[in-house]
Amino acid sequence: MGLSSVSSNTEDLQFCVFDLKRGQYEGQELDKILFFYPADLPFPSQLSVIGLSEGLITFTSIFSPEAPCEVIEAEMHSHVFYQAEPDIWMVMVVEKNTEVQAVWRIDALRKVLKEVHSLFMMFHGSIRLLLMKDPTGGIVRSHLYTFILDYLSDFLVGKKLHLPSFRDSLKERGTVEMLTVGREAAIEVQSLVRVVESCGGNAQCYSLLLFQDLLVSTTLCPDDTINLFTYAVLRLTPHALSSRQSSWSYRGKGNSGSNIITKSSTEAAASFSEQHSPNSWSEDHRSIPRPLQHDKWSKGKDGFLVNDIWHGDSGNSTSPTPVVYLQQTEERMYLCAYQHRSLTLLFVVPVSSIINGEQGISAVKQLILDNASLKMSKVEEKLSKGWGGENAYHVSGYRYLLIDADRNISRASPPSKVATLAKDSLLFLTKLRKEVDIEKSRTRWDCPDHDRDLEICIRAKNNAWVIARATQGKELYMVLENANETVLYASDAVEKFSNRYCNGAFLD
Amino acid sequence: MSAIASSSQPVVGLSSSGALSHAYIKYPPLRYNIPGSRGLFYDDGNKIIVSPTNNQVFSWKISPFTPAIAPTSDSLSEGPILSIKFSLDSKLIAIQRSNHEIQFQHLETGETFTQKCKSESESLLGFFWTDCLLCDIVFVKTSGLDLFAYNSESNMLHLVETRKLNVNWYVYTHESRLVLLASGMQCKAFTGFQLSSVGIIQLPKFEMVMAKSEANSKPILASEDVYIITVYGRIYCLQVDRVAMLLHSYRFYCDAVVQQGSLPIYSSKIAVSVVDNVLLVHQVDAKVVILYDIFLDSQSPISAPLPLLLRGLPRSTSMGSRSNDKNGENSEVNYLSDLEAIIYGDDWNFLIPDLICDVSNKILWKLHLDLEAIAASSSDMASVLDFLQRRKLEAYQAKHLCLATARTVILERRPLSLVARVIDVLVSSYANSLKTGNYFKGSRSEKRAISTAPHENIPAAGDMASASRATIIGKSFEYEGTGLEGEYFQASASSGSDLEENGTMGYLRTDTNIDTGTSVSGMQERQLTSPVISPDEMYSFVFCPVEEEMAGEPSYLVSIMIELLLSANSEKIKVHPNIYVLTVQLLARNEQFVELGLLIINKVLEPSREVALQLLESGRQNRQIRKLGLDMLRQLNLHHDYIVSLVQEGYYLEALRYTRKHKVVTVQPSLFLEAALSSKDPQHLAAVLRFFSDFLPGFSHTSDHKAYYHLLTEMTLAPVS
Repeated sequence: MGLSSVSSNTEDLQFCVFDLKRGQYEGQELDKILFFYPADLPFPSQLSVIGLSEGLITFTSIFSPEAPCEVIEAEMHSHVFYQAEPDIWMVMVVEKNTEVQAVWRIDALRKVLKEVHSLFMMFHGSIRLLLMKDPTGGIVRSHLYTFILDYLSDFLVGKKLHLPSFRDSLKERGTVEMLTVGREAAIEVQSLVRVVESCGGNAQCYSLLLFQDLLVSTTLCPDDTINLFTYAVLRLTPHALSSRQSSWSYRGKGNSGSNIITKSSTEAAASFSEQHSPNSWSEDHRSIPRPLQHDKWSKGKDGFLVNDIWHGDSGNSTSPTPVVYLQQTEERMYLCAYQHRSLTLLFVVPVSSIINGEQGISAVKQLILDNASLKMSKVEEKLSKGWGGENAYHVSGYRYLLIDADRNISRASPPSKVATLAKDSLLFLTKLRKEVDIEKSRTRWDCPDHDRDLEICIRAKNNAWVIARATQGKELYMVLENANETVLYASDAVEKFSNRYCNGAFLD
Repeated sequence: MSAIASSSQPVVGLSSSGALSHAYIKYPPLRYNIPGSRGLFYDDGNKIIVSPTNNQVFSWKISPFTPAIAPTSDSLSEGPILSIKFSLDSKLIAIQRSNHEIQFQHLETGETFTQKCKSESESLLGFFWTDCLLCDIVFVKTSGLDLFAYNSESNMLHLVETRKLNVNWYVYTHESRLVLLASGMQCKAFTGFQLSSVGIIQLPKFEMVMAKSEANSKPILASEDVYIITVYGRIYCLQVDRVAMLLHSYRFYCDAVVQQGSLPIYSSKIAVSVVDNVLLVHQVDAKVVILYDIFLDSQSPISAPLPLLLRGLPRSTSMGSRSNDKNGENSEVNYLSDLEAIIYGDDWNFLIPDLICDVSNKILWKLHLDLEAIAASSSDMASVLDFLQRRKLEAYQAKHLCLATARTVILERRPLSLVARVIDVLVSSYANSLKTGNYFKGSRSEKRAISTAPHENIPAAGDMASASRATIIGKSFEYEGTGLEGEYFQASASSGSDLEENGTMGYLRTDTNIDTGTSVSGMQERQLTSPVISPDEMYSFVFCPVEEEMAGEPSYLVSIMIELLLSANSEKIKVHPNIYVLTVQLLARNEQFVELGLLIINKVLEPSREVALQLLESGRQNRQIRKLGLDMLRQLNLHHDYIVSLVQEGYYLEALRYTRKHKVVTVQPSLFLEAALSSKDPQHLAAVLRFFSDFLPGFSHTSDHKAYYHLLTEMTLAPVS
């Protein structure tokens, strides 16, 4: 298998998953490797990356057993560590380039690792569990390969993987973006949600409601909400279904500035994962469900979304209704998705509560149609009326990112507006965010119960104000270009913003 | 009245007799047995029944209906009596002596004068007093109407107006102020006049529908087969079609008469009553009664046909306790067993709207609805509540039933959609009563009922006018259209009987209270003229008791709260803040913190101090929820509460900043100093001390300053020593 044109351009990224518990003996080192990208890198090179990582983890855990190693900053590369599960590590190696494109914020890269692992867990369960089922590691490897490559294909722009860089510093992965709704609509939404959840009978069901790519309501715990929300925005929302259109949310499929992703790039993405699969596993690929595969979901006649991901080719009993694992309850749930125009409803029912599989599911679906479809279109109508469009949350003069860390919610200036910022401003913001990240991780270990208050105002080279504020679990990042030169002016601007858009959370 | 109340029969009540019926008459009846009586006349204008003897006339007030009421008597000159009616101001009495003359007698002076028909060819069909502006009394003759005004000075009648037309017979009710004149061979062509305070409105001529049994037969409509009824302030005419076995209904607008539809009948003898705006069609032969609520123009009965029952009969006699077989009692026993036998007897005479006169026994019954039985007969809770919410006569009972039903559907964990509809009915009914202003009229209308003589009622003409306007806009507006005037009319007409309900059945109220075990002392039952339930009452009498019983299932209850909010919001009604507090409690108990957060952030649970404090309380285990409470306090500008809570959370430095920014002076410095001291961080304590020294004039001379300064020096020295 020759090097494909895609892989030659992606050498600046290495991505691996390994298990510290495996391959303890000489000669068995390859056992450790659960995933490596690029897959065609010779094993000795793969092992050297993993060996270095393992060594550092072992070394640093002497001093800090609970949080061993977060990053290695070498001259040419950054190694980003993420402990996905006990003894299971994910490491991403990115090239530090002389070109500014490769100015990384480590925390943002780590969030990528966290996201792919969370999504993997949601669909396939934990890596450790899969390893216990199949100690040879074959199942885990094949699952990880298809899953991670499908995931990475979303970062593909043209033929290059674009990982979150300084250009994305006004975005926050691992948070949900919420739609602001009025009281009246909120009550309607609540009523809808409760009617929907009552359709599951006595079983505890959960739901997630999205309008466009924004979350309207959830009854799941924050972690599960993030996972399902992420998946919905990636594959289920109207935007995701018509994949030619790019989403304008923070996961703007790489290139944030331009809203065009060409058909060819989608195709490239599809072929991307094919080409990168190593030969040895290719025969059983067909039977592995690939939830992140592109263009597999479509809207059925009854409004429910259907897929051909979980159809076993061999005609075995695998159910076409996907099953997901919830972190909160560690329960297996059927995932149903219903779509009415811009409104997407995700509904999860415990597998244990449905007695006769698909039949039971379609009974539940019918119940939802009977009881909730009217309310659904009412809610959709109401939300559409109050919806300000893609630039609804643009505040003129400001480029901002607002994070509510307690509730894992973020809101930011629309990508098209962020794209108007000067490169210098964004570079400064990245620097500032790095500082805040360090500061935050310190307080996290020092006093976990108390949020740190923080206020930083920097005048950038291009005379823009770059501001970070943190108080009681809320963070606000802001870039003010064309602003007055006094710091008083900048702080006034923050206060105005805080009073108007954050209920005065950031007070002076 | 009190004598009646004490002769209590605990049979009537919410837990009433076992026999199934939806309408009943209640023992004791009004007995009008007067020796030498020469018949009984119903004077619906004055709401009295009149029984003349040779030289006296006895009259009983029937509104309020008090069985033991003593008759008032007036002397009367002798002569034949075809009809007898008091004037509306009770000063004159008019006695129809023949087909040609009516004699008038002044009650105080006893003076009399006579009014005769002008020509021999016409004969008098009857007469009625009216509160129309133009005239005081109307003669109905075969040649038309004569309208007279009474001049008290000359003690004479003056002819004001004549309406010429051929009349075979007529029907009139004072309630509707409407006289219908039948003419034609079959007596099915009608002309109607409404004599209201506004003036005389002539209705367009119309013909009633009559089926033919054979090709050439032409049945003749009899006056007994036509009824004028007033329901929800609307005027209808009901007509029995004996051939088709149908009861046709017509609704009157001032510019049109519209046939509404036909109800089937199952008896050759039919009678019609209206109790509390419910239409009762007595199928006399079948001895059953069918109830219709024609509010929604629906032709279907409220429930299955059931017999009319006699309730409240003293059971001790018939229960077989023969011991008290004294003579006096014995005759009473016979009398009572007679009463039971004569339900729908041949001598029953139905008086519009809700009275039954038993001519042979000389007693008068009043019809009642058994709301509880009606409510129990239907499984469609929402429409039952809808029905109950429209009841005015026994508003207290209706309200009680509504609350009980609401509790029951929740406790039985009925499907959410059903409960939602139930809640919606109650809320929109409340909203409606707010709009029409009825909700606050309760206490006033009672007083008015006492002082109001019947002629002060606003006649229904206004109602008719507005109703016709409403029909142009669309049927759905009818209720609102009739709204104020119609409602007013209704309220003043029926509140009199309200009084009676409350007066005679006071004991019933206490009984029911004990039965259901709910404290309803908050409801001013005496003032209740409408069963609408305010959100406050919804909280106290539905959610509170239900919440206690359903402690295990908060999620379902929260869903219902949301439905309540949905209904309330669509009707633009404020709900009780305690409902929000309760919702917070329930969600927190169920650990649904994510949802709680959403509800707070989207202001579904409206911000208030109570809610904020509940969030702080419920969030003891959850910092995010506590923060929501803090944020809410800040947003409500409850500075003092906010600062105290901030300090409790350990954010005393932030609290100080906030204190300074918002110039809050109510919080004692010692609170901050204490918090800073407990942090064991001398820097913090020093910062707080410094803050107060700088910004609180005179602080450095207080004992607080001294004490904490001392503590600070100890703290800073401690590590050294």
